[in-house]
Amino acid sequence: MKFLNATALSVLLATSALTTDLHAQELTMAVSAQSAGQLDPHVSTRTEDKIVFGMVFNGLVRFAPGSMSGEDIEPDLAESWETSEDGLVWTFHLRQGVQFHGGYGEMTAADVVYSLTRAADPDRSGVSSDYTQFASVEALDDYTVQITLAEGIPSLLGVVANYHGGNIVSARAAEEMGENFHTNPIGTGPFAFDELAEGQFVRLVANPDYFRGAPEIDSITIRYISSASARDLAFQTGELDMIAGTREDRWVTNMTETGEAVVDVFEPGELRTLHINAAMPPFDDIRVRQAVAHAVNREELVAFMGASVARANEAPVPDGYLGHNADVTFLAYDPERARELLAEAGYPDGITVPVAITERASLFAPMQVLQAQLAAAGINVELEVMEHSAWHAAIRDDVSSMVLYGAARFPVADTYLTQFYHSDSIVNTPTAVTNFSHCDVADDQIVQARSEADMDMQMALWADAQQAIVDEVCSIPLFELLQVFARSPDVDLGYELEGSLSLGPVITEQSTLAD
Amino acid sequence: MAGFILRRLLSTIPTLLGVLTIVFVMIRVAPGDPALAILGDNASQEALDAFRERMGLNDPMWVQYLDFLRGIARGSLGESMISGTPVLTSILEVLPYTLELALGAVFFGVVIGTPLGIMAALKRNGWLDYLLRVVSLVGLSFPAFLTAILLILWLAIDWRLFPVISTPTGGIGDRLYNLFLPALSLGLIMVAYVMRTARSAMLDVLGEDYIRTARAKGAPMRRLFLHHALRNALIPIVTVIGLYFGLMIGNAVLTEIIFNRPGLGKLIVLALNQRDYSTLQGLMVFSAFLVVMVNLLTDIAYGLVDPRVKLK
Repeated sequence: MKFLNATALSVLLATSALTTDLHAQELTMAVSAQSAGQLDPHVSTRTEDKIVFGMVFNGLVRFAPGSMSGEDIEPDLAESWETSEDGLVWTFHLRQGVQFHGGYGEMTAADVVYSLTRAADPDRSGVSSDYTQFASVEALDDYTVQITLAEGIPSLLGVVANYHGGNIVSARAAEEMGENFHTNPIGTGPFAFDELAEGQFVRLVANPDYFRGAPEIDSITIRYISSASARDLAFQTGELDMIAGTREDRWVTNMTETGEAVVDVFEPGELRTLHINAAMPPFDDIRVRQAVAHAVNREELVAFMGASVARANEAPVPDGYLGHNADVTFLAYDPERARELLAEAGYPDGITVPVAITERASLFAPMQVLQAQLAAAGINVELEVMEHSAWHAAIRDDVSSMVLYGAARFPVADTYLTQFYHSDSIVNTPTAVTNFSHCDVADDQIVQARSEADMDMQMALWADAQQAIVDEVCSIPLFELLQVFARSPDVDLGYELEGSLSLGPVITEQSTLAD
Repeated sequence: MAGFILRRLLSTIPTLLGVLTIVFVMIRVAPGDPALAILGDNASQEALDAFRERMGLNDPMWVQYLDFLRGIARGSLGESMISGTPVLTSILEVLPYTLELALGAVFFGVVIGTPLGIMAALKRNGWLDYLLRVVSLVGLSFPAFLTAILLILWLAIDWRLFPVISTPTGGIGDRLYNLFLPALSLGLIMVAYVMRTARSAMLDVLGEDYIRTARAKGAPMRRLFLHHALRNALIPIVTVIGLYFGLMIGNAVLTEIIFNRPGLGKLIVLALNQRDYSTLQGLMVFSAFLVVMVNLLTDIAYGLVDPRVKLK
């Protein structure tokens, strides 16, 4: 009997050892979207696509996993680089022997030249404006690339990092597939694209030839589930190993309390800003804009969103971005003063303004809090609630007197300042981006800072620009909302997650999944 | 019969054309921008413009309309603005999942609804009848998404019998397992419809003279019921199934979203949110065609169940 037991036990052990060995490590995560967009890093800037790019592609340099700080930029496809004294000529020395997925051969300087040229071409790229200062990109030999700039830019390493246009694609694959590249993207990353089921999922498989070593995890399925409760439920039942969370205190607490989840709260903070349309009366009067600024209570907003996921910010550029001005002087919460200003401007009985807002809770909920705060100071906001993409179109048509907008951008002050506050970016113009306020008081500082070689001077210009924007009350920066994900304790990312420009916990070759 | 089908098909052309025009105009009147939806909210203006130009969105509306009609006339539903895949391919890819779901729902509806309805008719005004009538009223008033959520809570979360996300892949066993919850939640509405119809149809038939005659002749209850009554009661039930099969495809939208199942409904919502004009148009044309076909098949089914119905 004992013998039998022992045999049974050893057989059991042997088989379980065998099954662990054979058991493929398959990780399933869900993000908040209805489908993948176009899986081409030069085309799509959509949140849900970024995490795929972060696993499939590499740049010349990269932000170390778990960080989005410019100080943590490290070699990726380039092993080393040097720059000319004026900062206009950059030479990158490529790593040798890096293979593209799907047998597309070795990555060489030709692929880098092709990729950066493609990223700069508005016909093939959604991020071409980042590369307007690129005078030329040349291959000096198979493993050396030289970039020449027409004018200095704030962060060259930033635009050749593993973020959007900096991702290197296989020239041969992109040429062969043409417009279909986005349904079969070919990169050099730890995971290779395997399958796309529209409206359902994207599947990635481990790239055994990855130059940093083969990944521990065999495959990743990224499911697109737009309903937060459906994600939460499927996570609870163990169908999902990792999910995009809801950016609320309550959610973080509930998830943490289950004891079966690790909640990651990380950078970048998406800054929520109330842009005030100065081209639309009564906001053409600065006193009315100042009244709005005095009526807003940031502390209350942060308390509403929850201190674990939100933090107040008074500067137009988010915290953690290179050039953020932490010492900006701003108009403090003072509803009495707001009423006085309105009366001075000729509105003793207050004002009523129409405001378009998306139906999505992440903006709609704080807008309702703002509505109540403003009403207390005599500013009545009539909300026109719209379907999300209709709202995006409407605010770009310049029809809303105030626009509450949330965004995370490349973490250098220039990006934020240019897109939201440079007069070229004013909405409803041929060069429009997202300047909803018609702000034009900081153009000079923004432009000068771009090519300023002296770092201190550059920082001073950016600080100056932010102060000018706050003084003019182009907008009222409110609070930042951090990124939130939950993962099963079985998932070990293999790095400390403090920030992610991919807006999600990227799985690397070192990440593991316990059984 | 062939002539009947051909005439019916021809008569659908004006209907389809009307649907096409309405859809074409409505989605363009609705605010929103496919370029923005695809490229993301911080895409540069020049990239957005280049995209619109490439997709022909800068052409005058009537040019776009003619292009669209020309495509349809050639039998092409066009290509998705987002993925570039032919719309018909996307539809055919997910159609089996929606059909599977609608069939599953009809299955539950018929299998549960018919016997209950007949039982209610046989025990007319008894407690069972009252109970079933109340239940079916509740069933009719329950929105599909609510039943779906309740079923998920009980069967997937509390008892962990079925998955929360319904993934229709794998072998037939896996597929049925994944289909069970969505089909049941959708089928419960169908149960209510079928039950009410079956009850009243059965009551009608049971009141007919020939039933009284058969009864007077001393026909056994079993034979009376199976041979004389049931077959005649089936006609309205078949109509309801045909009618509601179309409705099930419509209701499948919500069910598919709640269970995260691929299908026509999910495709429609996706295309709507992304302002993927070509996919939406193609889907609407296809759905209209589907409804017409189901109606046609229902008419044909009449002929099979009831020889008195002549298909001319």
